Amino acid sequence: MRRFLFLNGLSLAFGGLFLASLVGQAFAGVADVNDHRLSEGLEPISLARFVTSSSFAVDVMENWQSEYLQFFLYVFATVWLVQLGSAESKEPHKVGRESDEQQSLGKHLRKDSPAWARAGGVRTALFSRSLGVVMGTLFLLTWAASSVAGWSAFNNEQLMGREDPVSWVGYLGQAEFWNRTLQNWQSEMLAVGSMAIFSVYLRQRGSPESKPVGAAHHDTGQTG
Amino acid sequence: MTTRFGLATVALAVAVLTGCGDLSADEVEDLATTFARADDDPGTRCELLASTTLAAVQQDGPCDDVLAELPLGSGDVTAIEVWGEEAQVKLSDDTLFLTRTSDGWRVSAAACTPQGADLPYDCDVEAS
Repeated sequence: MRRFLFLNGLSLAFGGLFLASLVGQAFAGVADVNDHRLSEGLEPISLARFVTSSSFAVDVMENWQSEYLQFFLYVFATVWLVQLGSAESKEPHKVGRESDEQQSLGKHLRKDSPAWARAGGVRTALFSRSLGVVMGTLFLLTWAASSVAGWSAFNNEQLMGREDPVSWVGYLGQAEFWNRTLQNWQSEMLAVGSMAIFSVYLRQRGSPESKPVGAAHHDTGQTG
Repeated sequence: MTTRFGLATVALAVAVLTGCGDLSADEVEDLATTFARADDDPGTRCELLASTTLAAVQQDGPCDDVLAELPLGSGDVTAIEVWGEEAQVKLSDDTLFLTRTSDGWRVSAAACTPQGADLPYDCDVEAS
């Protein structure tokens, strides 16, 4: 058991931090919503009602969609774009999808290569893109969910303000939808761009996200 | 079967993401219909007002007397919108706004006149 925890510590730690943050968001969110409702002369709602509301759903989904967009773009962009000296980049001469030898495919398969890497044809083609496809699909699903939940929360606010609700298509044209979307996208792009360039000049000893402390600034793609 | 399961899953997801809005439509319609049909019984209408709305009305006098003087509608329900804790009911001769309270749905605004696209309704009965 201890060995299992040790060997999966990264996933388990971030899974735990995710759940703790989500619970914290629920408590802070219901307090915020009830402050707003009381100021409008409306009754407060319970925690259970809040966590099943569109207001909570849109706050969660709008962040998830941008995280998956970030990783989807990063997974694809780093195939073709490089940053000289960055631990997040591969070396400039490896730009592109790389050879079968570099990717351990075809006659370069290893004994422990995954079954879908061995299968050939469509299965290997799909497996070769599976990380980006899954990230891209999760982005589209969570963005769609964000639009539906945001639409519902927007209409709830419309009715609180004695205004007519709008259609889903109408909501997609609202400034609020694009404000929610773009404010999340810009922060993700900033974080990725910062990481790419900071890792050229800065080090974190022992982290695979960093180059070795003694590596030259112009060394690209090394991890410590 | 797979298609039905898929549609059911999508419907469930939409219901959750939209806060199960239309599941309360029947309760909203019942309350609005009762409110509209009580045009000769302002006391009943007063009982169906949300507490903050009732308090605002009573600032102008006894609720029964104040409501009797206002142009509240009594027509049929023509459209219902339920979004989370709030609802809008269009009558043939008025627009009502309802809110969900611990005692069930209550009227938060009535005798509402549209002021044009993207503008709030002007309501004779609402919380101050």
